[in-house]
Order: sequence, then C-alpha cells, then structure tokens
Amino acid sequence: MWTVSPRRAALALTAGAALLVTAGCTGSAEGNAEASVQGPLCDALPSGTEPGNPTALATEPVDSALSWITVLTTFEGAMRASDLLPELKGKPGITVLAPSDDAFAAKFSGENLDQMMIKDKDTLRTLLRAHVVDRSLSLRDLLDAGSVTTLDGRTVQVTAADSMARIGTEARTVCADYRIANGRIHVINHVLGNLRTTVGEGADPGH
Amino acid sequence: MKRRRSTVIALSALLAASFAPFVSSTSAFAAEPNQVSNLSVNQADGFATVAWTPVEGATDYQIERTAVDAANAPSGNPTIVGVWRPNRQINNEKPTFADSGFNPGDRFEWRVRARIGTAEQPYSTPVFGATREPWGDLNTAGQNLRTQWETTHAAQFTTDVNEYAYTAAVDEGSDRVRVVEIGRTVLGRPINMFVIGYPTPPATAAAVAATSPLAVNCNVHGNEPGDREGCLIMARQLAFSNDARTLDLLKGTTVLIVPTINGDGRAANTRGNSTGQDLNRDYSLIRQPETAAYVRMLRDYRPVAGYDGHEYGNSQAGDLPMLPPRHQNVPQQIFDESLDMIENHMYVEGAQDGWWACPYGCANGSGVGLSEETILRNTLGLKNTVNSLLELRSSGGATRPDEGNTANNRRRKTFSALWTFNQFMDYHHAQLGDIKKARGEAIEFQVGNTGRLVFRGSRVVPLHPAPHPGEAGPREDLPTPDMILDNAPCAYKLTEAQYNGARTDGPGDVGATVAERIAAHGWKVVKVADGYIVPLAQPERGLIPLLLDAQAEEEWVDGERVYPTFTGKHNGPLTISGFACLAGATVNGPVNVRPGATLVATNTTISGPVNAANSAGVFLGDSTVRGPLQVANTNGPVTVIGTKVSGPVNLANNTGGAAPYVAGNSVSGPLSCSGNSPAPTNLEVRNSVNGPKTGQCATL
Repeated sequence: MWTVSPRRAALALTAGAALLVTAGCTGSAEGNAEASVQGPLCDALPSGTEPGNPTALATEPVDSALSWITVLTTFEGAMRASDLLPELKGKPGITVLAPSDDAFAAKFSGENLDQMMIKDKDTLRTLLRAHVVDRSLSLRDLLDAGSVTTLDGRTVQVTAADSMARIGTEARTVCADYRIANGRIHVINHVLGNLRTTVGEGADPGH
Repeated sequence: MKRRRSTVIALSALLAASFAPFVSSTSAFAAEPNQVSNLSVNQADGFATVAWTPVEGATDYQIERTAVDAANAPSGNPTIVGVWRPNRQINNEKPTFADSGFNPGDRFEWRVRARIGTAEQPYSTPVFGATREPWGDLNTAGQNLRTQWETTHAAQFTTDVNEYAYTAAVDEGSDRVRVVEIGRTVLGRPINMFVIGYPTPPATAAAVAATSPLAVNCNVHGNEPGDREGCLIMARQLAFSNDARTLDLLKGTTVLIVPTINGDGRAANTRGNSTGQDLNRDYSLIRQPETAAYVRMLRDYRPVAGYDGHEYGNSQAGDLPMLPPRHQNVPQQIFDESLDMIENHMYVEGAQDGWWACPYGCANGSGVGLSEETILRNTLGLKNTVNSLLELRSSGGATRPDEGNTANNRRRKTFSALWTFNQFMDYHHAQLGDIKKARGEAIEFQVGNTGRLVFRGSRVVPLHPAPHPGEAGPREDLPTPDMILDNAPCAYKLTEAQYNGARTDGPGDVGATVAERIAAHGWKVVKVADGYIVPLAQPERGLIPLLLDAQAEEEWVDGERVYPTFTGKHNGPLTISGFACLAGATVNGPVNVRPGATLVATNTTISGPVNAANSAGVFLGDSTVRGPLQVANTNGPVTVIGTKVSGPVNLANNTGGAAPYVAGNSVSGPLSCSGNSPAPTNLEVRNSVNGPKTGQCATL
C-alpha cells in the first residue's frame, strides 16, 4: 500500500536535482582521454551543465541514469516493469543498448506495448535482455569486438557506420558513450531482438 | 557571430520607405521588398507571442530565434523554431506565432521572414527580449515552489512522490487551496483534487457546487504527461498569485483540478491503468476505481464546465486539437455551448496569442473519439456539462522544427496546455451566465424524456470557414438505423440479480455492482416489489439507456424497457397504485399516489391537486400541475424538475432516496420543504417561485 512522506520526498528532490546539475561543472578535468558522448542525437539531449548532462550521469546507477536520458522514457518504463534493474545494478560491468522512444513507437503498437508492460512480463524481460551486454563496452570497444552476445544469449554483429556503430542489420547508435556507474549506455534507433513488428495494429491512440 | 544583411535597397523600396509603418525595433533601415515589418514579441508563461505585419503574397513565414547574452550578442546558433501557415488562425490579417520550447527565463533575439513559394524573403529587423522566468517570486513562500519538471528543465516528469510533496506544499501554503482525495487507484495511489477558491474554497462539495465550479482533468493516459505538468504550475499560480485577474476568477467560482487520475499508469508510463484498461473508455461503465472516483466527484461537486487533457500523435494536427461532446444524446444546448467555447473563444484567442487550436483530427481527421459515451468528453456532455477534449500535438511536426530536442518538445506541449486551461477559466468566467442557462435548459430537456434515443452516433460539427481550419474537420459519424430508438421507454427495470449481483468486469475480475455504479453516477432508482426501476425522467436521461439497454454498444446489463402506462386523457380522479408512467397525458382531476406506489409523469398536465404520501417514488418532469403539489414521506426518490405548478408545493419528510431534486420549476404559490433527508437541492438550476420559499427550500 502507499504511504506518503512528503517532506522526505521534497528533500530528496532538491538534493538530487542539485547534485545532477552541479556535477556538470567538473568539465573534462578527469585525467585520461575519456570520450564524451557522440552521435547525431546528442545535441538534442541534455548537455553541458543542463540537468541530466552526460558528465552528471557518470557516477549514477543504471536506473537513475536511464531516467535522465530524455528519449528513453519507454525503455526506462519497461526496465522498471521488468524487475531487471536490481540484477543489472549488481553486475560489475554492463553495456546497455537503449532504443529511443521513436524506435519503440516505430516497432510496437501502443496496445502491444501496454500488454507487454502489464501482462506479458516474460516477453518483456527477454526483449530487454536482448539490449544488454554483460560487460562494459565503449563505442570503440563495440566496434573492435565486431560482435556482442546479449543477455538473452543471442549474438549480434557490430559494424562501423560513419562514426557510429551498426548493431545487427538495422540499428545504429545515435548517441553513444554515456558513462554510468557500472558501464555504458548507448542510445540506438531500432529495437533489437526478434519480436514481431506490431506498429499500426490495434486501436487508434487518439483520445 | 554577426550576420550580414543585404544592403541592396531598390529605389522603389526607398520611396516606399518614407511611408513605411512604424517598426518595433530600433533599426534605421528602410524596409526591403517583402521584408517582414512591425515585428513584436510579447512574453507570457512559457511562450512568446511573435506578431508582425503580413507581407503581400507570402505563402508562409519562418520564425527564427537566437540565444543572446545580456548585451544582445548571440550566444547560440540562429534556429528556425516556427513556420506560420495560413491555416493556423481564423484571420490572417494579423499573423501571430506562439514560440515555445525554450528554457523560460533565457534571453533571445527573434526575426521573421516571409516565403513566397519557396523563395525566402529578407528577414525582419530583430527584436530582443528576455523570456519570463518560471512563475513565482523565489523569495516568497509558496510562489517559490517548483515542480520536478521545472527544476530538471523538462528532463524529467514529476514523479508520483514528488507530485504529492508539491501538492501538500501548495495545500499547506495557501488558504485558497484545499486538497481532497477523491479516491485511490487500483494499486492504492491517491487521486488528489485541488479545490481552489478565494479567499478560501467553500467547505463542502455541495457548497462548492453552488459556485458553478469548473473542472480540469489533467492526466488520464499514463504516457501523455504534458497536460499534468501544466496543471501543477497553474495550481501554484492560482494558490499564490495576487494579480487582479486571478483574484477575480477565484472570487466568482471554485476551480477543481485533478492532476493525476491514473497515477499507476503515469508511474509505469502506460496508456492504461495497472490492469491495462484505457480509462478514457471507462467513464460510463466505471469498471475501474479511478473513473468511478471521478464520476463520484462529478456527482458531488457538479462542475458546470470541464476540460480533459491528452496528447495526440498525428504530426500534422494543430498545436491544440479540441472537440465538443458529440454523442447525439448530449442536449443540443450543451453541444452548442461547447462548440462556442472552442470556436468563439479558443480559436479567437489562439489567433491572438499564436496557438493553433483546431478541430480534433485536424488535417487527417480521425476514426476514433466520436460518439463513445465511455469517453469523458461525451460522458460530461451527457451529464449536462459544457466541455472539450484537449490534445497536445505529440511531435513538433513541420510547423515547429526545433523539437528534435525532447526538452523543447515537452515545454511547448506543457505551456500550450497551461495556456488552454487559463483560457478555459477566462471563458467560464465571462460566459458563466450562458453556461448556466445552457445547463438549466439541458437538464429540463433531459427530464422531459422527449424525442428519440441514440445509442451511438455523433452530431455533425460544421466545417469552420477557411482559412482555418477549412481543409478538414471531424468525421460525420451519423447514427446507423440500428443505433436509433425512436420510441423511448419511460424507464428500465432491473432484476435483483442485475442490480445487486456480483460482477467480474473490474480489477482482479471483481467489479462493483450495478447498484453501486448507478449510485456513483447519482441516478435515482425506485425499489419495487420485483426489482428496481430507473426512470428516464431525470437529468442523465441520455446516458441511462447506454448502460441499461440491450441495444446499446457497451451496457452493464440488459434491463427491461418499461413503457408509459398512460398517454391519453383522463377525466376525474386518478389513483396510482403500483407503477404508473404518464407521458404526454392529461388528467382533469386530482392525482393520488398511494403508499408504496410510484408516479412518473413527463409532459403531462394535471388539473387538480397531486398528493403522494408514503409512496415509493415521485418523478415529475416538464409537466404542469394546476393545484397543490404535496409529496410526503416518500420512501424513495423524489424529483420535480421543469414543472409548472399553480398552487403550493410542499415536500415533507421524504427519506430513503438521495436528496430530492427541486429544480427549474415555476411555482405560483409557496414552496415549502421540511424534514427531508438529505435536504432537497436545485442542482444550481433555480426555481422561479411567485410566493414565499421556506424551510429547506428557502434558497432553491
């Protein structure tokens, strides 16, 4: 059941927001040649000292980091619904290939998505596992590896595509190299895995 | 980075420049051919209205914005942030564009240029200005509250826990605000409602109802969060602003805001609630606790006008698609007044402020959201509430090219919602007389139970004249023959099993009984020996058959149609025992309703006294009584609406039903009420009484 503790929540809000804003001021004085985020979408995401900028996320756990990357609301909600986050947080190193909201909208109908999020969690978990690798890989590492095996056991090829990486046949990284506490997040533009495309089916989402 | 301007000025332009209109910047340049002139930028909350003088022959205009520092030197790249096209406003003589999406408080330079075909014309001279900071003085308690969405610069939507903290802070900080929990979601999240009035809101729901409140429903689909953030900001403004307009609005009415009816869906970012139910297909059926809570609120607080906030994915639509309640059972007056709100207020103000309000579906029309009574827009209309749907166009589309940045996109949506809800309050304030008149007539029409009933089928929304939005409007959606019932019954009769039987159409396959749902809607029901009768002679006549008739699309149960028992002329006394339904009848003599009997009379003229003592129910709608009307000790519902009585009216000791309705009647004689429990109400539709009003009816 729900209990509400408004004061604690308000304090948490202020502290949390402050942390993630001011952390952005450290700039690139971190020493070795750490790549910053790169890709055609990065300009459209929080940057510099804005709340949710990449530097601020560098020490965040994966669940918090996902909640700051503004194009990942579908993926983030799915991760929470799947109960996979505690497992991912506990791993020593992960790489998250995170499809954007546009990618999800191009793949699944609203009904199909709701259905997976609420009722068919096993399918949801398998889908999400197809987007996580069990070690931390930068964009450079991905390209050097040439292929990766995701948590669902499938292996996908990784090839170069301009300065980005193509994952499998269709997906490309669009903003790569978010550092998080235990690895990396790369935003990609297609949903991976082998679920059927259902976009356009079902009820009109209007009204 | 300075931009070069063309220094070529044609001779004709030099001559023309001596007659050039006043330019709002400080430039000394003469106007170039086809250059936009008289550029002005007016700041508002979260948007800036860019306006200019039209260029003859222009096909469209581009609005460019550049971030600048305090010295007006560029600190960012110039960006096309808007494209003005003629179909976005009802007049084209004064083009305006609501630029939105920037971080409120930042400083910018704006320029506008025309395009003739695809040929770009010279930019206007620039206008510089600082956009408004988020509302509220940082040094004043209450005003300095900010939502999570505001503090994160739209990177995050306000979570449930932070919403509750913010709500509690607004509640605690302002005497104008009382926060009421109207229910809980399936998973137990509170559904809070802000009740806002000045200097303080009335203490009870009935007292709030007496102020003809307006209601904003901010977030029904969990993955459509934009309106809710606007509502949270508006609640702060209403709670703490001391500007004349706000105080004026709040003195005259009570504002009801439900920020999050679907807290579980919002937290999970799903369209439906935690069971997957689309709540905007459940407001008639009320299978889910969330919609049932909202319907109970409507019953108790009786808002006279409403808005229901959503987001919509058609990228070609206007900024703000809107739609009136179209179900054909919605009284004409409610449909007309709702359409008036949209076309004569929202379109007009939109043209003024630069927001593109349009008929739902806009460019591509839509196949959904027409006459389903399960949709709140229609449910409200059937409940005699003037209202509109509000959509926020999901993506920037061609007319807002800078919304690849998610924060820009979210800010534009939320501030357009804030604009709309503020316009709604202004409309309600200015047109309250008309709204109340429409509502009174609608209620009186409904209780008369005249005319055909339609199960599904829409009223036509005529195309608004071009240029806006002449090219498209909502689909016709007329009722098919199988959706029409020309001969409306008098009432529906339900069996014990239908009324009180267990249902499985709710969360966890457990649903509230029909009895509970009817009570939530506030309908009056008569208990008879072999079942329960729901007469149509009551204010929600158009909704009842949609839930109780087998011919309906989404009914609860298939109730038995009960037809009028008497429609002709009767000379002499008429004694009612059992159930009697008079429709369009004439009785020349007294009517006596015996103990345990039920009288329903619509469009009926009785020349003689009407007396009911210890009856099971009395329903008088749109009728005439030439003589005294005495209703006492009814063990059940009493409703007297839209009826003309030449003689005293006395309602005494009526209990066992909900509050008797005494509304919109015309009485020549005293009106007295005593010992009724609960006390009678006029549903805010005053009676016209030529005589003293006493006791519980003194103020009706």
